[in-house]
Amino acid sequence: MKIAVCVKLVPSTTALIRVSADGKALDCTGVEMVMSPYDEFALEEALKARDKAAGSEILVVSVGGDGAAKNLEQAYALGVDQCVHVKAPDADAAAAARCAAAVLKTFAPDLVFCGRQAIDDDQWLFPGMLGELLDLPHVTAASSFALSADNAKAECKRRIEGGEETIEIALPALISAEKGLNDPRSPTLKGRLNAKKKTVTVKTPAELGLDAAAMAPALKVEGYAPPPPKSAGKVIAKPAKEAAAELVKLLREEAKVI
Amino acid sequence: MGADILVVAEHKDGKVKKTACELLTVARTLAAARGGKVLAAVLGPGAGQAAAELGAWGAETVLVGEAGFEAYASLKWTRAICEAAAARRPAAILMSVSSLSRDLAGRVAARAQAALASDCTALSAEGDGFKIVRPMLAGRALVTAVHAGPGPLLATLRPNVFTAEKPAAPAAGTVEALACADDPRDQRVVVKSFAAGGGTRPELTEAAVVVSGGRSLGSADAFKVIYDLADALGAAAGASRAAVDAGYAPHSMQVGQTGKTVSPVLYIACGISGAIQHLAGMRTSKYIVAINTDPNAPIFKLADYGIVGDLFEVVPALTEEVNKAKA
Ligand SMILES: Cc1cc2nc3c(=O)[nH]c(=O)nc-3n(C[C@H](O)[C@H](O)[C@H](O)COP(=O)(O)OP(=O)(O)OC[C@H]3O[C@@H](n4cnc5c(N)ncnc54)[C@H](O)[C@@H]3O)c2cc1C
Ligand SMILES: Nc1ncnc2c1ncn2[C@@H]1O[C@H](COP(=O)(O)O)[C@@H](O)[C@H]1O
Repeated sequence: MKIAVCVKLVPSTTALIRVSADGKALDCTGVEMVMSPYDEFALEEALKARDKAAGSEILVVSVGGDGAAKNLEQAYALGVDQCVHVKAPDADAAAAARCAAAVLKTFAPDLVFCGRQAIDDDQWLFPGMLGELLDLPHVTAASSFALSADNAKAECKRRIEGGEETIEIALPALISAEKGLNDPRSPTLKGRLNAKKKTVTVKTPAELGLDAAAMAPALKVEGYAPPPPKSAGKVIAKPAKEAAAELVKLLREEAKVI
Repeated sequence: MGADILVVAEHKDGKVKKTACELLTVARTLAAARGGKVLAAVLGPGAGQAAAELGAWGAETVLVGEAGFEAYASLKWTRAICEAAAARRPAAILMSVSSLSRDLAGRVAARAQAALASDCTALSAEGDGFKIVRPMLAGRALVTAVHAGPGPLLATLRPNVFTAEKPAAPAAGTVEALACADDPRDQRVVVKSFAAGGGTRPELTEAAVVVSGGRSLGSADAFKVIYDLADALGAAAGASRAAVDAGYAPHSMQVGQTGKTVSPVLYIACGISGAIQHLAGMRTSKYIVAINTDPNAPIFKLADYGIVGDLFEVVPALTEEVNKAKA
């Protein structure tokens, strides 16, 4: 089987990110960049699928600036076969999906794994868009994935409002990973050493046949702002019973929410 | 691109969801600014029944897909929405953030050549286009962006952020069939079964009030104090990741970056420290209440009302006070 994984480099979840003084940019200097956590589940599921279907290969694609190389070294350390870095530092999620689609069209994957969301711009956009561009059916936020014995289809579970769906999907297919899909392995020392010997294929959008219009941002960013400051709240310093009575009164009479 | 606004209205067995009313309220303002009309598309069993209510909320035309739409199927739903969009050429398509839109929006945007803005907390008409605001980086920043075509805008809106208001007079709500022939290729992905879970409380992502518990609950049994308060308030129950990882609450209750995003009118955090990843899932709540033994817990920085105290004393006392107030 041919298996593809899409991974994105993002600021670590605890990093302090400042908005520039003019509000036009985000300042990520000195911020630790990591593989988006959901993409680790995607990678692991690809490795599991390769283990199951003998003779399979895994191609990993990352679209972004130079830092993406770090992501791909991590992927090689885990034992993937090939990595492609599409150099497009300013690509938004839609443009990135077009880049990935261009790479994957020639690879013709049987399975594509993504994360459910990249934790920088939190769009949940790329997987569905890539599925459409490659004409693959998709499942969003799969919390389980099981290939059939003949690798022709898979059964996924997905948590939705009020319960859980069981979904059957025919290959070739695209799956986006929910947390808990699996337990991602860590690279071994041997894996890390091997990774140093591998080379990443670097492409530009132009080399993939994508012109300026295809790479143009879907929306024009006007600016960024930190979340609005909250004015100091009321702290009720009283014994439990009195505090509870006062809070209920405030919620009823001041906030008028219950 | 026309001037109309197309709302994809979610419903449950024909009963229009509150989130759909929120979309229609926003759609009316946008359509008025653009000189267009509000259209609603409603799909699935009971869709026809929802049409009258959608009219009352301001939909001039309701595109109903009922026959042939037995269960949710992403490929068929995509086709239906995109065919409606191709025929009506709306300036914008609106959906609520939900499992449905999370699954559909990227696909619809690609096919309809729409610009997608996910999880918006503000949306307005701006010149010939639209302006949106959306949180990113788990709520650590808000981004403002404008859309000016060439294709339509597809915006998904965060539930409970926009207030639903009925128009003074209902709109026509003229029903038109949303015909969409079957295509065997739609069968490539099918929902085989659905296991209901979560019980009788309101859906976490849609609830007006949410009561959440953290690691300090200490056991699944102890979560009863959270459930009791939730039930007294008619609220949904939530949990921090620490509580979920410890097995005190199911994953479906997790609020935060790796769980659900909620934006209720009232969020009550009981014994939750307020880690950045938890805040990511609830910081746009209108009112936040924190109950914590540690006066320096970061959650108090975000709280409108705080009680410094032991949740095992404060929460049952609150339940009692709420029940008293209701009586
Ligand atoms: C990639 C990533 C993703 C994450 N995603 C999420 C997510 O989606 N959701 C999430 O919640 N977390 C998430 N986390 C975890 C997060 O960082 C915190 O560890 C977690 O939110 C802590 O949960 P807590 O507040 O219940 O526990 P703690 O941080 O241990 O806080 C317990 C609090 O209870 C108070 N307390 C103790 N006893 C009592 C008592 N008797 N009465 C009242 N108060 C009491 C304490 O003072 C303390 O403030 C994520 C972390 C990472 C790295
Ligand atoms: N620039 C990118 N390069 C590679 N994969 C990406 C990129 N952006 C998004 N993805 C994939 O799409 C998923 C969802 O991202 P998003 O739609 O941006 O929230 C991520 O978890 C990745 O698997």
